[in-house]
Amino acid sequence: MKNLIDFFKSFLLLELLKGMSVTGKYFFARHVTVEYPEEKTPQSFRFRGLHAQRRYPNGEERCIGCKLCEAVCPALAIKIEVAERADGTRRTTQYDIDLVKCIFCGFCEESCPVDAIVETRIYEYHGENRGDLYYTKAMLLANGDKHEAQIAADRAADAKYR
Amino acid sequence: MINIEIDGKQIQTENGSTVIEAAHQAGISIPHFCYHKKLSIAANCRMCLVQVEKAPKPLPACATPVTEGMKVFTHSEQAVKAQKGVMEFLLVNHPLDCPICDQGGECMLQDMSVGYGGGQSRYHEEKRVVLAKDIGPLVSAEEMSRCINCTRCVRFGVEIAGQMELGQAFRGEHAEIVSFVSGTVDSELSGNMIDLCPVGALTSKPFRYKARSWELSRRRSVSAHDSLGSGLAVQTKNNRVLRVLPIENEDINECWLSDKDRFAYEGLNTADRLTKPMIKQDGKWQEVEWQVALEYAANGLRHIANGAGAEQIGALATANSTLEELYLLQKLMRGIGSDNVDFRLRQSDFSGDVKQQGAPWLGMSVADISRADRLLVVGSFLRKDHPLLAARIRRAARKGAQINIIHSADDDLLMHVAHKAIVAPDALVEALTQVSKALASEKQGQSASGEAGAIARSLAGGERVAVLLGNFAQQHPQAAQLQALAQQIAALSNGKFGFLGEAANSVGGYLAQAVPGTKGMNAAAMLATPRKAYVLLNVEPELDCADPQQAVAAMQAADLVIALSAYKHHATEYADVLLPIAPYTETSGTFVSTEGRVQSFKGAVKPLGETRPAWKVLRVLGNLLKVDGFGQDTSEAVRDEVLQGVDVSAKLNNAIGGVEAKAAPASSGLQRVADVPIYATDAVVRRSAPLQATADAAIPQVRMHGEELKKLGVQSGEVVKVGQGQGSVQLFAVADDKLPRGVVRVAAGHAATVALGAMFGTITVERA
Amino acid sequence: MLSLQITALIDKELKKYPADQRQSAVMAALRFVQDEKGWIASADMADVAAYLGMPQMAVYEVATFYHMYNLKPMGKHTLTVCTNLSCQLCGSGDTLEHLNKRLGIGLGEVTPDGKYGLREGECMGACVDAPLLTINNKKMCGRLTGEKIDRILAELDKQ
Repeated sequence: MKNLIDFFKSFLLLELLKGMSVTGKYFFARHVTVEYPEEKTPQSFRFRGLHAQRRYPNGEERCIGCKLCEAVCPALAIKIEVAERADGTRRTTQYDIDLVKCIFCGFCEESCPVDAIVETRIYEYHGENRGDLYYTKAMLLANGDKHEAQIAADRAADAKYR
Repeated sequence: MINIEIDGKQIQTENGSTVIEAAHQAGISIPHFCYHKKLSIAANCRMCLVQVEKAPKPLPACATPVTEGMKVFTHSEQAVKAQKGVMEFLLVNHPLDCPICDQGGECMLQDMSVGYGGGQSRYHEEKRVVLAKDIGPLVSAEEMSRCINCTRCVRFGVEIAGQMELGQAFRGEHAEIVSFVSGTVDSELSGNMIDLCPVGALTSKPFRYKARSWELSRRRSVSAHDSLGSGLAVQTKNNRVLRVLPIENEDINECWLSDKDRFAYEGLNTADRLTKPMIKQDGKWQEVEWQVALEYAANGLRHIANGAGAEQIGALATANSTLEELYLLQKLMRGIGSDNVDFRLRQSDFSGDVKQQGAPWLGMSVADISRADRLLVVGSFLRKDHPLLAARIRRAARKGAQINIIHSADDDLLMHVAHKAIVAPDALVEALTQVSKALASEKQGQSASGEAGAIARSLAGGERVAVLLGNFAQQHPQAAQLQALAQQIAALSNGKFGFLGEAANSVGGYLAQAVPGTKGMNAAAMLATPRKAYVLLNVEPELDCADPQQAVAAMQAADLVIALSAYKHHATEYADVLLPIAPYTETSGTFVSTEGRVQSFKGAVKPLGETRPAWKVLRVLGNLLKVDGFGQDTSEAVRDEVLQGVDVSAKLNNAIGGVEAKAAPASSGLQRVADVPIYATDAVVRRSAPLQATADAAIPQVRMHGEELKKLGVQSGEVVKVGQGQGSVQLFAVADDKLPRGVVRVAAGHAATVALGAMFGTITVERA
Repeated sequence: MLSLQITALIDKELKKYPADQRQSAVMAALRFVQDEKGWIASADMADVAAYLGMPQMAVYEVATFYHMYNLKPMGKHTLTVCTNLSCQLCGSGDTLEHLNKRLGIGLGEVTPDGKYGLREGECMGACVDAPLLTINNKKMCGRLTGEKIDRILAELDKQ
């Protein structure tokens, strides 16, 4: 009996029509696929992308070299060396993040007592050599300088949840 | 014994102890800041408040003595509420700068605030600000706002260091820790205040911002800078020593460390470190491969041994070389046929060598010193030569022990000295003879007069007497007689006698047999009758030897000088081969402390550059010279060769017999008294920048009795010319009326006085 | 150096204490110094320390702890005005204001001629006469009014 039903189903192309009906339905439905790179998805202000080092409005770098980010980093991607600057303050002489190692967990950002190291919304960057993704202090600061307005706005939006 | 109950646990404890002590014995922790087991009780932080049954209010555990049947609750609701309240008050004025604080990660306040602090502060007013202070090159008081006024540092100064250099000025909210008139803290134990400070108010200046505590690896080591054998925790990062802390051992250094041990590491990685072997060719220094340098050295030695004879080769080592190094050095020398090897470079009287029955040592354990009730210290710059032993003696004095001193200088020992006899160096033997005679007559019921009599009476009245000979007595030209007299005095007073060892391995050198046999020449003889070749192990002859003039002359006259050294020093002027060897942090080795304690350690970091441990260098030299018994693979194998199956305590013996009483050679004119300044004792210390910036490392002065200066027509503070032999130096003269007449005190071992001669003997002073 | 008068006074004070506890006399010694010089310089503290055989720092602790020791020159006549509650309620504010105007100096200051210094004091234990001031910690004047202050100053001017 079962064989007979199967025979009629395939003979009358019922399965094909059933499949085609799904295709037909979605043909007229609203599109959800984003046409990257012409189109982009919206981002949360908590997006964790490329790192940046921030400065205070007077131009002073925020980082005080407490090394909490280095200590908390689960991928050991951060390397910091610290020394006393001529004015007696504690400053980093080296602050490197190896983005090849980084897993973008955001712990560094969370552990920072002065909001110096942050993860920006930037996710479009690349390196042609392995070393290109080894970000030094100067690169991170430049990153921060370039996107400070966005970074500050994102921190402000997130402030009430912290 | 008393029975009490803490948190429901039955505890037996000694009568008179406090609740916090009883709790710690039972392994119950009570939070505290100002309490420290080695210091007096202040009870001013109030963190240790606990609930005691039948007491209406919480009581401070550190200041509450136990009573029979007492019931204590350390974590009851009342206790925790009190502790949290105290914590909140402590945090009211404490800055929130943990991220930049050097104490961060090892801070008592930080730890406690996790347990007892609130997540949010209720205090929104302005915090108080305490200005930074400059209290010297070792201890940083840059952030005194962090201070919680526990006064541990003040109590340490008063009770352990013996001088009150810090104090708590002002009152209430304005109270702050200051030094008098912004002075520096010059104590030779000041670094301990850094350890004691429960917060980040007093931190290490050389270590400032160098690393966070969690980044450091910790290696166990032993101090190479004095004879006590203090345990060191050498903390390293990226193959560099960044900090040194004490390892607690109640029998040795307790929980303290002298500044010399603590800050010497800064001299390890200086610019003048020798990192490649060098040989001198045609008057020019060239860096070469190890193989070349070693073959050059071996060939040179072989050439001289075959030509002029092996007895023309002499080996000198410092007493802070390791046991393994000293052993291999003497084995090498004896292997090539020379018996000339010595490590006692500042000693001048070797007549006791054949009469001495064993290795001279402390004659008791270090802990015994604390228990002594009568002490006689002969010829010792106690505070500077043995900072921690001096602290022990100071504590004994505070507990009522009588300290007697016989010496040629009268430095302030910062303790109560019962009696002292300060005499010129050539009268030292006579002074001891007097004491010995006075003791003998004391036994027959006759009291002698004068200081000698007073000292004798003091010693005769004691139950646990200790007679100690210091560095000055060991370097004295009549050292053997002093030793014999000390032995006599100790016997008469039923006490013990011993030597306060000069350097880390002063005992180990004897165990390693790095002393000449009957045929060989001792350090003084080797330099007095110059040899054709010298092997120098860690030695800087002009600074480490008793007579720098003689030492340098001997080096310059030699055909071959092989210097094994961690540093490029003045040897470049006379040496032919420089072999870079590892200082104590970069090699494994063994030190035998002055109480005969054998302590081995491993290297904390890898040797710098092409530096190699000296025992390896000596081993290869032995192989190249085809000497038997140089097949050791590890330093432990070398150590076992020396010590396995050997009962070290049986080898330690201070007894000396057959010393003739000889009068000191008649001296004319002024006599020199030379101390080796505390931060000039060895190569590493001499290069430690922070130590060299302290007051103790100032350029030596010429100190004389005021009347003597007047005779010369010199005012205190003027420059004078002091001369010995052909050499002379110009230094500031200072009147010191505590010195005996006819004595000139000029330090040895310092770059400013290398032009002078022997540490003892006549010296001339004239107006510059 | 301590003057002979001061050492004589200290010696007299020392007789009150056991011979091995000379530092008991430190407060009196500092008072004698201040009576003679008007204030206590660090050098004087060092001298007192040497005379009593105690650490300099310990003398400094005592001198800074107590309010009535002047650690800087406070003029020939140091006027200490009580500002605690009773005096405040009875008008110590006016007293201070009046003194400020008359002398041209604020609290903790000295007149340019070095004659008067003005300090704030704690309760002097005579609230019945509030508001109060003391002259050189020795003479107490109570129930102060503007006129009375003028009279006191006129009298001091003569000295």
